[in-house]
Amino acid sequence: MNPKDILKITINLTIVCVLAGIILASTYAKTEPVKVRAEEREKQLALKSLLPEADKISEIGKVQLIEGKPEGDIYAGDKSGQTIGYVTDAIGKGYSSFIKMLVAVDPQYRIKAIDILSHGETPGLGDGITERWFQDQFKGKTVDQLEVVKVETKDKIQALSGATISSRGVTNGVKDAIIKLEGKLKEESTKAQGVTEKSPENPGTSR
Amino acid sequence: MEIKQYWRLFKNGIFGENPVFRLALSLCPAVAVTTSVRNGFLMGIAVTFVMTMVNITVSIFRNLINPKVRIPAYILIIATYTSVIDMTMAAYSRAAYKEMGLYIQLIVVFAIIISRAELFASRNKLLPSAVDGFGMGVGFMVALMLIGAVRELLGKGSLLGIPLVGARPMLIMVLPTGGFFVIGLLMGTFNWIEKRFFGGTGAAPGGHGMH
Repeated sequence: MNPKDILKITINLTIVCVLAGIILASTYAKTEPVKVRAEEREKQLALKSLLPEADKISEIGKVQLIEGKPEGDIYAGDKSGQTIGYVTDAIGKGYSSFIKMLVAVDPQYRIKAIDILSHGETPGLGDGITERWFQDQFKGKTVDQLEVVKVETKDKIQALSGATISSRGVTNGVKDAIIKLEGKLKEESTKAQGVTEKSPENPGTSR
Repeated sequence: MEIKQYWRLFKNGIFGENPVFRLALSLCPAVAVTTSVRNGFLMGIAVTFVMTMVNITVSIFRNLINPKVRIPAYILIIATYTSVIDMTMAAYSRAAYKEMGLYIQLIVVFAIIISRAELFASRNKLLPSAVDGFGMGVGFMVALMLIGAVRELLGKGSLLGIPLVGARPMLIMVLPTGGFFVIGLLMGTFNWIEKRFFGGTGAAPGGHGMH
């Protein structure tokens, strides 16, 4: 191979790379804002479906779910000025991935619904966590009831057959998120105690 | 080329040189995603599309790419296509992206695509290359759906998501182990049919270790 050949090959490959780079960059510039907006909209829709009775859902704070990961968000759902529930991000460690979820609870921290946003569990086994019946088990449960068992159960969580670890991942993630949510809200309400005592609460705005 | 030859070229991808059963290429994704007919179908669609586009592109530029750097150039072409499709779907077609996003990103490393670019598209005109890519893609899809059907039926007791068998399913079939069993048995069946009815020689033993 003489130097001229090397130069030719280099130029050839460089042109291919530059072309690919230009195509990728322009596609990215065009699609990324659309994608971010779509994701935001999807999250809003997911929040809405978790707290359908709420007429306003707003972010009220952040909570550290897993050490070294970005903080999760906490949302409060209001109806006619009264808080009817909270939604929190949740992360559980499954068999082969982190399972990202949203958990909705009522003001007494009983679960209203859960939603799995993303996961990378084994197709055919662990991905059963997205099935309706599995997620519906969580409805109305309190933190103390969140325990995975391998038999049919009414007041605990029944594991998916062949995917106990994924089931446990979801359950522990939900449990952890609710405990942290409760801790965070209690801490804030004790801080705010002084303020509320001075200014009497507004009479209800409901009609 | 005549219509008949194109038809033969298309059929070649499904029977004569089926990517999974005859060429024994891209077995890794063939095991990974075939836990149900549906998964196999979605993966097959994605591969068919990318392979056809890559074959067309390689065929157009076949005289401009220096043979000494053709492999990196092909990989760049495949990677560019998959990334563009991935980004476009993520932005404009969310529902489809949720189903197929995972598969699209996997395609970059598929041996069958680069092998068709190298063996066919780099030596043939545009139209035959497109037909070859499309035929190979359909062959890949058929293979994946067949494997998926057997694994879904035995491993989950259902077909296309519809429960059929009441008995306790064999969990091993949805695990990778079961995938190897099914691919081996189907490959054997394909070879037997070929030998018995068409007097062929069967797939070359061995295959290779690429993805």
